[in-house]
Amino acid sequence: MATGMVDTWANSDVLGPIYPFVGMEGILAFVCIAFWLTWHIWQIRSENREFREDLEKIRQRGGVGRILDDESTLAQEEDSIQD
Amino acid sequence: MENELSSLVVIFTEFYYWVTIVFMFFIHVGFCMYEVGASRYKSHMHTLMKNTMVIPLITVTFYLFSWWIYFAFVNGPWIIGDLVAAPHATPWSELMGAHMGGVPVQETLDGDTTAYWARINGVFWAAFLLFSWTAASIVSGAVIERIRPSAFWILAVLIGSVCWIIDAAWGWSWNGWMVQKLGYHDAYASGVIHAIAGGFALGVLLVLGPRIGKFSADGTPRNINPHSPWLVTIGLFMIYCGFWGFYVACNIPIIDVFGGDMLDIQDKQYFSATNIYLQPTTLSGITLNFLMSLSGGLMAAYYVSKGDAFWTYSGGLAGVIGASAGNDLYHPIQAMLIASFVVVIIYKMHYWVERKFKIDDAVGAVAVHGYAGFLGVVIAGFMLWGYPSSPFEGYAHITPWGNFAGAVIMFGVLGFIPAYVASKILNAMGMLRIPREIEMVGLDINLELEREIDAQQVRDAIRREA
Repeated sequence: MATGMVDTWANSDVLGPIYPFVGMEGILAFVCIAFWLTWHIWQIRSENREFREDLEKIRQRGGVGRILDDESTLAQEEDSIQD
Repeated sequence: MENELSSLVVIFTEFYYWVTIVFMFFIHVGFCMYEVGASRYKSHMHTLMKNTMVIPLITVTFYLFSWWIYFAFVNGPWIIGDLVAAPHATPWSELMGAHMGGVPVQETLDGDTTAYWARINGVFWAAFLLFSWTAASIVSGAVIERIRPSAFWILAVLIGSVCWIIDAAWGWSWNGWMVQKLGYHDAYASGVIHAIAGGFALGVLLVLGPRIGKFSADGTPRNINPHSPWLVTIGLFMIYCGFWGFYVACNIPIIDVFGGDMLDIQDKQYFSATNIYLQPTTLSGITLNFLMSLSGGLMAAYYVSKGDAFWTYSGGLAGVIGASAGNDLYHPIQAMLIASFVVVIIYKMHYWVERKFKIDDAVGAVAVHGYAGFLGVVIAGFMLWGYPSSPFEGYAHITPWGNFAGAVIMFGVLGFIPAYVASKILNAMGMLRIPREIEMVGLDINLELEREIDAQQVRDAIRREA
């Protein structure tokens, strides 16, 4: 059993490809395309879900105005502690 | 490799490009620091990840099709000729993996091609790839805090793995049609990286719109200051460091200038470094010009911005970009003066465009890269008027109109237009901009809540222990 075309390094000067499974490059390229496109599809779905959850959390916390008010209060408290 | 001298040349060339790749990594580190520093606290992590994921996405797509585009598209295709065969650059080529340069297995390859590309292909591919990351990173900074990461990553693949590599095939290769017919000269990529990326950023920004709060009701721009001037400036310093690798990667380290079909001079050899067009140059010459143009840019930017740190650092970068098209041939003082001139112009243009067209370019990328790159190419056309654009016979000489046409192609045709069209499509699909409420509270809202919950759990645990 041998996965590659290298059975000795004595012929290094005439060796070609040294990675295993030579001849499967086309299939590997296809797998790479599928991997790349699948990632984009997964990421877009994941992002949509994340944004839906974020919007829900914003509503639960009283809306954008309330969150910004809380941030201002927190920032003022931190400033007063530092002073 | 049959003897020590030829082995040394090949392995030195391989190592040379490998070192440039390591240096150019600093550009991406710098861009990440810079963007995070420029963004507000509540969008940090998304800003960081937006730029970080440029690395794998462009790498994979650059492997799949961009490297082939670079060699196959030199004639347009169908502008001055057909597609060119590039069997060493397809993703299924055995030369896109570890290869000792001996007998090829695939029938599309011949012995000479295999022996030549076996050791150079990967490092040469990676040097171009790092340019691609840079092109996408330039756009990334301009659109912070309101673009959807998913949309940005699609646009990043478009600029990094399609648009810029087409422009490289056309105007930044020894046999590109723009070099042959227009005499286009852009040795250190003022146009082929910076103008195209700036034009692309402008195309996206026009559709994306400004950050909420950037402009008042009467259109007056407000300053959204970087949360960390330190990160911004150190990031830009890091980009300077990477720029050394970028400059060096633009050269071929050692080649017989009278060899091959170039000058058709028999019985004569002259070994030298060359630029990408195979014209002889020296690392010494470009080092002088890099530092003098950096200095000219810094001094002009400090003067025009009255010592503003962000603009002074950006001006250093813009100065180098403005002189880069001709920095293989300029005198260092010419490089310095060109850099100074370009920086004053782009600084004024940035604020004029911001006020006039309500363009919110968060990091000044369109100005620093786009306008400076465009001007750099145009100026090189005047400064190098009449120089041969190539060592090959029959190529057009460098002219102002040839380089002006090239600058328009880079900034407009391959930069602005594809970005505008792609952004319009993404926008029509509701995929371009993040929801308004999330933009207002910050993209990291979910992370902030998780952090609050984590902190509360730890506080509760400590209380129980006490």
